[in-house]
Amino acid sequence: MDFIESFKQNFIENDRWTYLTDGLKTTLFITFFSVIIGMVLGFIVAVIRSTYLRTGKLLIPDLLCRLYLTVIRGTPVVVQLLIIYFVIFASVPISKTLVAVIAFGINSGAYVAEIVRGGIMAVDNGQLEAGRSLGLDYRQTMISIVLPQAFRTVLPALANECIVLLKETSVAGYIAIADLTKGGDIIRSQTFSAFLPLIAVAVIYLVMVVVLTKLVSILERRLAANDKR
Amino acid sequence: MKKILSGMAAVILTVTAFTSCAGSAPANTVHSIDDLNGKKIGVQLGTTGDTLAEDVENATVEKYNKYSDAVQALKQGKIDAVIIDSDTASVFISNNNDVELLSEGFADEEYAIAINLENTALQTEINSALSELKSDGTLQSIKDNYESENAGSSSYSSPEGTDHSKGPLVMATNAEFPPYEYRNGDQIVGFDVDMMTAVCDKLGYELQIEDMAFDSIISAVQSGKADVGVAGMSVTPDREKNVLFSDTYTTTHLVVMVRKDS
Repeated sequence: MDFIESFKQNFIENDRWTYLTDGLKTTLFITFFSVIIGMVLGFIVAVIRSTYLRTGKLLIPDLLCRLYLTVIRGTPVVVQLLIIYFVIFASVPISKTLVAVIAFGINSGAYVAEIVRGGIMAVDNGQLEAGRSLGLDYRQTMISIVLPQAFRTVLPALANECIVLLKETSVAGYIAIADLTKGGDIIRSQTFSAFLPLIAVAVIYLVMVVVLTKLVSILERRLAANDKR
Repeated sequence: MKKILSGMAAVILTVTAFTSCAGSAPANTVHSIDDLNGKKIGVQLGTTGDTLAEDVENATVEKYNKYSDAVQALKQGKIDAVIIDSDTASVFISNNNDVELLSEGFADEEYAIAINLENTALQTEINSALSELKSDGTLQSIKDNYESENAGSSSYSSPEGTDHSKGPLVMATNAEFPPYEYRNGDQIVGFDVDMMTAVCDKLGYELQIEDMAFDSIISAVQSGKADVGVAGMSVTPDREKNVLFSDTYTTTHLVVMVRKDS
């Protein structure tokens, strides 16, 4: 069977290409909302952790955060996904996509937290002291002096985390979510043609990642233009 | 601040604990094949049940990677029914007392061995071995050993002095599909395994089994990493364009599994 015929069978016949486009929508949806959850969660955890490390306050929240980081970073994301779906939400009627958003969001949060904490700790302590000596309290100094500087430092690493997350969502198929990878698997299961659907899926992921990388480098350049240090 | 945060954490933990224990699965709403319309049907990706479920009116088809995940989801009320073949279903039923089968059958399906598209020689060999095994009753006795009431009484073993001089024949399978292929200790056993052992004995090959994800079996056959794919695979015209199939070696019935009425 030649390439064109195989292409027709895998993508054109029975509108099989819709498995890929529908899957792509699901993948983007899950990635977008998990990135948001991950960022929010990550920033909160990072601020708690660095506050504890700098000032010794917030001992108990810090312990909880460390527990969270250990558990989430110490277990594979696919296992977490299955636990959240089959154990935590065992008999709760909840949409699978929401389960995936929660699972990937919580997972990503742990990695974002460590990235952001690194960024916060990299801001010189003198900045914090300067803020305090100007009469700002700890929270104001954190929000208007430390975090903006930390954000610029960690931006490339955060973007990388988004890219990793986009690709990690490919295990969502384990709980029968028809994401992009699963879309390719569905086509493969119908046509028993191994390669074309896999390659198509790979190319779509690659294009998304290349576009994301490009966007981030533009953003980085904009931020660097303001850098007078 | 500290108190608020630890208070919040306590609330979250309690809620999690509650949601994971409390609440039981909703009552069964599927009592006949017609009831499937508009329901959530679980299937294993790539099975005949998957193809047929697509045709049920207004139904949402959830394609799980394994039957065990689909049955788990059924028990928890995440889906309303699972379309599954009868032999695999009876294994699940014997291990789970909260699911049952509808008495109405759903459809029949036939299983065949998948072979690389180029390898017509092997297809011919396997078909001749299968027809011999059918006519001398070996295939039936292997089937009975897994399905009939006196299951387990007549397990297949290679005849003495069997010649394996043609070397290894690699069979790709997914050993999560009892009674066709499953793990017993560190061994992969089942109807398909015995059937292929018998085929190899006839042909002079030595059977080697590679256990992999169901999705990967066809890729393994097409790339030449395995000679045959045997995992309860059914023949469709679309698939025949990309792999060769042997003659069918068994026929089974698709059934509908639902939660037991309490």
